[in-house]
Amino acid sequence: MNITLTVNGRVHRLDVEPRRALGDVLREDCGLTGTHLGCEQGVCGSCTVVVDGRAVRSCLLLAVQCDGCSVRTVEGLAGRDGEPHPLQRAFSAEHALQCGFCTPGFLMLAVAALESDPAIADDPERLRELLTSNLCRCTGYEPIRRAIMRAAGRP
Amino acid sequence: MAHGWARREDARLLTGHGRYVADIAVPGCLDAAFVRSSVAHGRLCGVDCAPARRVPGVRGAWAAADLPGLPPVPLTALAGMSSAEVVAGRVWPSLAVDRVRYAGEAVAVVVGEDRYRAEDGVAEIVVRTDPLPPAVSVAEALDGSVPLFEGLDNVVLERSVGVPIDEAVWGRAAVVVEARYRQQLLLPSPMECRAFLAVPEKDRLTVWCSHQAPYRLRRELAEALDLPVERIRVVTPDSGGAFGSKSATFPEYLTVAFLALTQGAPIRWIEDRAESLLAATRGRGQDQRVRLAADAEGLLLAYELRIDADVGAYPHIGAGLPMQTARMATGAYATPLVHATVRSVLTTTMPTYPYRGAGRPEAAFALERSMDVLADRLGMDPAELRRRNFIPPERFPYETPTGRRYDSGNYAGALDLALKTLDYDGWRAERVRRRASVTALPLGIGLSCYVERSGGEEGGLHEFGGVEACPDGTVIARCGTASSGQSHQTTFSSLVAATLGLDSSRVRFAEGDTDELADGVGSYASRSAQVGGPALHRAATALIGLARERAARLWRLPVGEVAWSGGTLSSRADDAVALDLGELVRVTGSLRVDERFESGMAFPFGTHAAVVEVDPGLGTVRVLRLVAVDDCGVMLNPAAVEGQARGSIAQGIGQALYEGVPYDEAGVPLLPYGLLDYLLPTFTEMPPVEVRETSTPTPWTPLGAKGAGESGCIGTPAAIVNAVADALGVTDPDLLRMPLTPDAVWRAARASAVGSEAGSTVGEGL
Amino acid sequence: MKPAAFDYIVPGTVGEAVGALAEAGERARILAGGQSLILEMRCRRCLPELVVDINRVQGLDQLRVEDGGLQVGALVRHRAFESPRVAPGPLGRLLSRTVVNIAHPPIRALGTMAGSLAWAHPAAEWGAVAVGLDADIELRGRAGTRTVAAHDYFHGPHRTECRPQEMITSVRLPLLDDTVGVAFVEHRRTRAGFAQVAVAVALTVLDGVITQAFIGLANAADRPVRAQVAELSLIGAEIGSSFSDPVIFGSALSDGHPFGHAARIAAEGDADPCAQPYADVEYQRQVVAVLVGRALCQAASDRQAHAGHDGSAGEWR
Repeated sequence: MNITLTVNGRVHRLDVEPRRALGDVLREDCGLTGTHLGCEQGVCGSCTVVVDGRAVRSCLLLAVQCDGCSVRTVEGLAGRDGEPHPLQRAFSAEHALQCGFCTPGFLMLAVAALESDPAIADDPERLRELLTSNLCRCTGYEPIRRAIMRAAGRP
Repeated sequence: MAHGWARREDARLLTGHGRYVADIAVPGCLDAAFVRSSVAHGRLCGVDCAPARRVPGVRGAWAAADLPGLPPVPLTALAGMSSAEVVAGRVWPSLAVDRVRYAGEAVAVVVGEDRYRAEDGVAEIVVRTDPLPPAVSVAEALDGSVPLFEGLDNVVLERSVGVPIDEAVWGRAAVVVEARYRQQLLLPSPMECRAFLAVPEKDRLTVWCSHQAPYRLRRELAEALDLPVERIRVVTPDSGGAFGSKSATFPEYLTVAFLALTQGAPIRWIEDRAESLLAATRGRGQDQRVRLAADAEGLLLAYELRIDADVGAYPHIGAGLPMQTARMATGAYATPLVHATVRSVLTTTMPTYPYRGAGRPEAAFALERSMDVLADRLGMDPAELRRRNFIPPERFPYETPTGRRYDSGNYAGALDLALKTLDYDGWRAERVRRRASVTALPLGIGLSCYVERSGGEEGGLHEFGGVEACPDGTVIARCGTASSGQSHQTTFSSLVAATLGLDSSRVRFAEGDTDELADGVGSYASRSAQVGGPALHRAATALIGLARERAARLWRLPVGEVAWSGGTLSSRADDAVALDLGELVRVTGSLRVDERFESGMAFPFGTHAAVVEVDPGLGTVRVLRLVAVDDCGVMLNPAAVEGQARGSIAQGIGQALYEGVPYDEAGVPLLPYGLLDYLLPTFTEMPPVEVRETSTPTPWTPLGAKGAGESGCIGTPAAIVNAVADALGVTDPDLLRMPLTPDAVWRAARASAVGSEAGSTVGEGL
Repeated sequence: MKPAAFDYIVPGTVGEAVGALAEAGERARILAGGQSLILEMRCRRCLPELVVDINRVQGLDQLRVEDGGLQVGALVRHRAFESPRVAPGPLGRLLSRTVVNIAHPPIRALGTMAGSLAWAHPAAEWGAVAVGLDADIELRGRAGTRTVAAHDYFHGPHRTECRPQEMITSVRLPLLDDTVGVAFVEHRRTRAGFAQVAVAVALTVLDGVITQAFIGLANAADRPVRAQVAELSLIGAEIGSSFSDPVIFGSALSDGHPFGHAARIAAEGDADPCAQPYADVEYQRQVVAVLVGRALCQAASDRQAHAGHDGSAGEWR
């Protein structure tokens, strides 16, 4: 089935089987391997990407469902000049990653939240809920929370 | 900070440019998927792969009978943990031959053009098994009615350390604590499951694998596939976490490497989460019985630990691993008599392997849980009881009754800092306040003072490190370790740069590629900083010496007249005579030093303290505060050490409260919804954690670093369970078995509600 | 964990969608949010030959108040219920307190209420609300539309009144007036797990007397159930100020208290729990009792906290 995905501003015209998940298509057909598959059941969130402004699990979304959609992945976070996104800087500064496998998912989860709802950084309960969306097995999460607060300008 | 990044790894890992095995694009690469046993135990009557071969996009499908040369899983003779004697007659085939011994055991393999097609093939394969009774617990396996190997005992290893304790000792004691504990089976669950890619080239096989010990993998693959070691290259690219679970040569790896060679095609196996939960390694798995005796003043007289270890269906590293527990049974105390026995028992579950902590959490838990019970029986403050029994700093090196030689320690220092950081007295007052209140939730405080062992066992305490100066003035540092998130690139580059006096931007770090360095050991047992660090330090120091010798020859000066400073060689007599390191290489040729360093075992230690609140109506436990004081000697990279501490604490909390594998009556793990059933702690489950450190260097290495990274798994569980027992006033230590799921806590709360309110009904504690 | 192959169509109208279902029947599945369906397909436990993606069907995303009810279209995502303003008065509060228990924000961005009811997992939160409030579920097939009351809709785990040739087009929840206090309470092992038990309560209180009670239970049986015997026991009960601690943990609700009494009835009579790992039947009943008691207290508090809005009772009791 022919579909068009705009990924990080670039148009991809693809012929995909309906059963292929968005995550697989991003990785295999678009060559964007920054999106990681950790559980393929929507729990871990490593594969989180932003589709039309919302953070979603790319393992629980068929690529054909996204025909005509705009997708953002970790590869598209940095500015055009290559300057890293404030979240990327903050994750590094706060040691919010170790093995880095879950990191792209957390970044995309956070970027969608901060862009659509910057006040979330001032609401610990909603921030807690957001952070609970994804799993990390290395950091114990607190550095990730600090990084998001730092990126939101609330160090 | 390199270019604004706190770690060198960050530039790629934060931008989507990390390279994990599944990210490596090899033209024509095929995907493998495995057919797995749906029964726990049975005779394998037939596997029909023919229907799979007809599926579009499937390139081949094989059962064991179709692959006569397929080697079995090799015995990893690691540090004497397993042995040929244990394994004899109990071969672990890479694909099941005539019997399946655990649910999830690989029975056949399908190779397809992609994973979708490979799974299409898997769905078509028909496996016929004649079920045999399962034995998923040690107790079931010990009764002898379910032999896993005909004519052979399910007990594969029986050993002991220390001297058996005279019965009279127990009789003389003022108090003897007797208890039974269960260390449940845990799934290490790195976010990246196992991953293996085999690429046959002209006369070599290149293997990409998310692995902790690339040289061991190379050696074992070479032996199994009957290839000279030089004909295999193992590369461990970025790894999405390991925690001990990626250190072996698994059946799937052998099958894929064998097929890649025989089919002449690159093939990869990217394990998915469903497979991982069923067939990846599991850790822990011990039934323990303890006796701990003290006099009326609380001085410990004797400690006995008897371990029945669940080692899974095939005796592998897990068979000898419980010896770690036995050897660490002494803990932090100067107990005169300690005796520990191990019985390793086969069960119809996936074989056990090291999981973060690997034998030490089991030892720390049994002893530290018993110490709190003892304090309760003696009516003594648990902190004071521990303080009275610590091995004092002046007695190091200390020979334990269980055969360890502790290098250094200041156990009271860690305990004191933990109590102060926690505000122990403040929480004790709060506990008193709550006990007096009818509406307040019960609160408890738990301590755990652990000692662990880092670096490895005799015969595995060495590592290789190399430093090479390049003509462009840069330096390449190489090490036999393999990072799976531990910041080696940052830490080791900085270490080498500091040793050489160079800006760290001039140092590149290469590890995890067997073509880079002739030999290596790997990253497990908290060994990289302790053993790999000094290897690099030694190589860098030797490089300076070699560079000075070269310059001295060049300038016809005595070596003593040549100075080294910040990468520049100069004549002490004449500043004008000077050469940059790069120039030296350009003039005198390549300059490279590879070194081997052997460390002694080191013994990090610390105190973890937990405050919990229990909702007795539901049995839920909320950890209000957790303090971890760890001492790993000199920290090469404090931020990395703290990160490791926090992450391992999360895993320790997981063992204490959430993680476990339930089995159904047929012996099959009951995890139909994967990570919705096997519950890893999320952000919500994490309490406020404070990490502090003391620093007692190891005398065995020039850097003084002990291993770090496993402390939370070792120290945290007992602190939490002790706190829950304290909150509920649970006096029977057998009542609280990990994981402390709400139902278990509710039952313990009900049982210990003095057993007085007879005829308790549903809704109690509403 | 890759799904098996299937055919895929994207109908533009409900008519086209049910037309496809009429042809394919049990071989077809409706794809709305997909957050459960695609997981089941990945596990190859669900193997549709045809997936009917209704995400581009016009009008199914509508959410509107009409005729005393909240009409929830089949494509309304969980996320829409995060604000209490989603419906007027207590219903909005109940839905917003319920939805935060459903998975997490990325799942809620796609998953739908109708899809949850279609999947019919016994632990699903919307099941407790739908059954508790006796929602109407609109099913459409080629032959026409029929409306099924929630208590008739659920047949068991993943089994419902919806026929293979039908799809849910909307769910209708009755509005609650300002004499109603609401609560949703859930117990689970970690935030990532399914509910071990969840309870939805709507309590009508007039002059300190309970005149109507709705109690919906999730995972207290093989399907969501209403605790009707417990509800009955509450009618006419005078509630004093003993619920004034909004969340009572340590202090016991005595059996003499109407909430304590109702909680025990719900646990021992209305619930019919199934044993599961880490929760045998006895423990499940205990949890039902505790949660029903707490939910009733919270609903009473909620009623009191919003008493000023009903324009009549003002302060009661």
